[in-house]
Amino acid sequence: MYTKKCLLYEAEISQRSLHQSEVSSSSQARQKLEGLLNKNMRIRMTDGRTLVGLFLCTDRDCNVILGSAQEFLKSTDTFSQSEPRVLGLAMIPGHHVVSIEVEADSLDDTQGFGANH
Amino acid sequence: MVMKSAVDDDDTGWGLGIPEKMKNNANWVDITHEFKSACKDLNLGELLHDKLFGLFEAMSAIEMMDPKMDAGMIGNQVNRKVLNFEQAIKEGAIKVKDLSLPELIGIIDTCFCCLITWLEGHSLAQTVFTCLYVHNPDLIEEPALKAFALGLLKVCDISREKVNKAAVFEEEDFQAMTYGFKMANNVTDLRVTGMLKDVEDELQRKVKSTRSRQGEQRNPEVELEHQQCLALFNRIKFTRLLLTALIAFTKKETSSVSEAQKLVAQAADLLSPIHSSIQHGIQSQNDTTKGDHPIMMGFEPLVNQRLLPPTFPRYAKIIKREDMVAYFSKLIERIKTVCDVINTTNLHGILDFFCEFSEQSPCVLSRSLLQTTFLIDNKKVFGTHLMQDMIKDALRYFVSPPVLSYKCCLFNNHQAKDYIDSFVTHCSRPFCSLIQIHGHNRARQRDKLGHILEEFATLQDEAEKVDAALHSLLMKLEPQRQHLACLGTWILYHNLRIMIQYLLSGFELELYSMHEYYYIYWYLSEFLYAWLMSTLSRADSSQMAEERILEEQLKGRSSKKTKKKKKVRPLSKEITMSQAYQNMCAGMYKTMVALDMDGKVRKPQFELDSEQVRYEHRFAPFNSVVTPPPVHYIQFKEMSDLKKYNPPPGSADLYLAASKHFQQAKLILENVPSPDPEVNRILKVAKPNIVVMKLLAGGHKKETKVLPEFDFSAHKYFPIVKII
Repeated sequence: MYTKKCLLYEAEISQRSLHQSEVSSSSQARQKLEGLLNKNMRIRMTDGRTLVGLFLCTDRDCNVILGSAQEFLKSTDTFSQSEPRVLGLAMIPGHHVVSIEVEADSLDDTQGFGANH
Repeated sequence: MVMKSAVDDDDTGWGLGIPEKMKNNANWVDITHEFKSACKDLNLGELLHDKLFGLFEAMSAIEMMDPKMDAGMIGNQVNRKVLNFEQAIKEGAIKVKDLSLPELIGIIDTCFCCLITWLEGHSLAQTVFTCLYVHNPDLIEEPALKAFALGLLKVCDISREKVNKAAVFEEEDFQAMTYGFKMANNVTDLRVTGMLKDVEDELQRKVKSTRSRQGEQRNPEVELEHQQCLALFNRIKFTRLLLTALIAFTKKETSSVSEAQKLVAQAADLLSPIHSSIQHGIQSQNDTTKGDHPIMMGFEPLVNQRLLPPTFPRYAKIIKREDMVAYFSKLIERIKTVCDVINTTNLHGILDFFCEFSEQSPCVLSRSLLQTTFLIDNKKVFGTHLMQDMIKDALRYFVSPPVLSYKCCLFNNHQAKDYIDSFVTHCSRPFCSLIQIHGHNRARQRDKLGHILEEFATLQDEAEKVDAALHSLLMKLEPQRQHLACLGTWILYHNLRIMIQYLLSGFELELYSMHEYYYIYWYLSEFLYAWLMSTLSRADSSQMAEERILEEQLKGRSSKKTKKKKKVRPLSKEITMSQAYQNMCAGMYKTMVALDMDGKVRKPQFELDSEQVRYEHRFAPFNSVVTPPPVHYIQFKEMSDLKKYNPPPGSADLYLAASKHFQQAKLILENVPSPDPEVNRILKVAKPNIVVMKLLAGGHKKETKVLPEFDFSAHKYFPIVKII
């Protein structure tokens, strides 16, 4: 059951050795994604559920980790029908990601962009 | 946690406000395409993450769409609609009145199965509360079902309260969460038992009216109805008796415990008819593709799926109806045993009772009932005796210290009284904890025993000081008497018992590797049991000294008191048993050394550790104990060095010596006047081992490279050695 995470882990280790040889691969794409870190994100999954949480981590296969995630059963905009279920830290495998949305307000809020980097 | 701090750092402060924002129709911008293409530009294996978010955090994320981790997924994959109680009533998917007898029997049996599954450590949400009827018994119109639903809730509620109060469970034993369900708290216990009784009476009338009369042509339909009524009657009565017994346990009087015993005995009589009438109940339309929960009217296994925590949902496999009665009868046996504890009056007896009870690995409910029966509301033993008085009695029984003797001048001396009272008060908490430890499951006990040694080390220190103070007081008042190492001996005895149990339980829990056996058995035989026996004999002689003084005082008054000849010494049985255990351990130690000499013990390739590391780890908890002082590895190596003998013994000598130890153990045990099961269990190991050791000493199968086998099936701590 840990296979996915183990892959992530191994990937990270190989990445570390990569870093030693070619110091910077941080492309435009990377910067773009970094700008999204810690933003509120809404992801729809293949089974119709929607998760809302903070974007924390991703990789080339588009596996996404959300923090403080909440699960909504219906993807509609009115969430009043069903209470969300608190999941906490959740990883969505890339091949189960149907759509990704980010909150507009937080996109405009540029002051935090890449502040940590 | 790092993730959380990342949230805090963010000035915009997302987090708990999210749902609010969602409802206010926040602007969502679809970035699916950009995001995915940006991801593709990352290198293989490159992770994009916040500085504060590392792999450690990533590892603790649950993986969505993995059925083992994602509890929400199951509910989404089922094709049927998951309805709650109210919805099910509205849609007519569930009956709340005019249920047929087979329906009632089937529902009740499934509920029993759910109850048992819960008691075995699953969550209420996945067991009892998969039954929609118990969500809100007020909506049920059928009186029998309503009374049963309330009764079941009460049984759960009282069990939960008992288990919580006793606090001898860990997450692997019991789930106490109620997920916000009401446990029939708006109805009194008395009202519920009354309702059950009413239903029972009603059913009994039906049973009587359908009973066959002599010479009557039996209508098969009436006969069937009669049987079904009887089946339902027995189930309702069983529920009532079980509930009433549990209620009796919550009362403070000791008499209520024997009442509970009577009640469960009556309930046990109903189990056989319940078992034979299981087939009368409706069966679930088993969803065999999943092989899971019974799907039948009134039950919805997935109704609470969204209440489950986001961690691994433990899949609750409800036990089969056929096994239900067997479980109940064992449970009732255990509860009956628990009730017997009130007949034991002295502390050592109670301690032994707890040890013995725990050896059968009882369920969490019976363990908790035993705890709460012993210490009612954590104040008095069985609700009547002060723990301090119990401890004083135990001291009198064990070492007869002068300070607690009515005939001694210290007994009424204020200062001496202060000393002993404060000591006894300090003892009561560690002893209560010790008894509580024996209520935990076997694996946890070992861990906790290791920790409580620290508290006993402190007590040991105090005991020695109080002994010294009392001795100097006594020397002034009655120079012919002594008060040496009385309290100290008693505490030491318990210390040793804990240490021995700690080591022995490692065998039961299969923690030791074969190559470790030799130092464990060495520590037990050469050290702990040797200390235990000298402690017991010191206590014994202290008792005798006290008795002699009493006799002399008696002689002074009534001259013609005939001396009782050869009274059985109270500690003699325990001394005998310790000798037997010591010989068994010594036999095993020598066996292991000899097998090692012959190359018949597989040893690991020590790369990152050494035998010393393992040894020190095994005996680490003993480092907190001052008396007896821990034996360090170097000391052990010196003490067990065979080169100090001239000539050093070979494997044949050691096998022979081992055989003698087993022989000795056998002799001791065969002379025990009234052998208990434990004696017989040890004998079952000693006898074959005598023979095997003799064979090995004679060179039997010396060349074989096949490793010997150790069979612990006859005794938890001592194996039968098998040479193949």
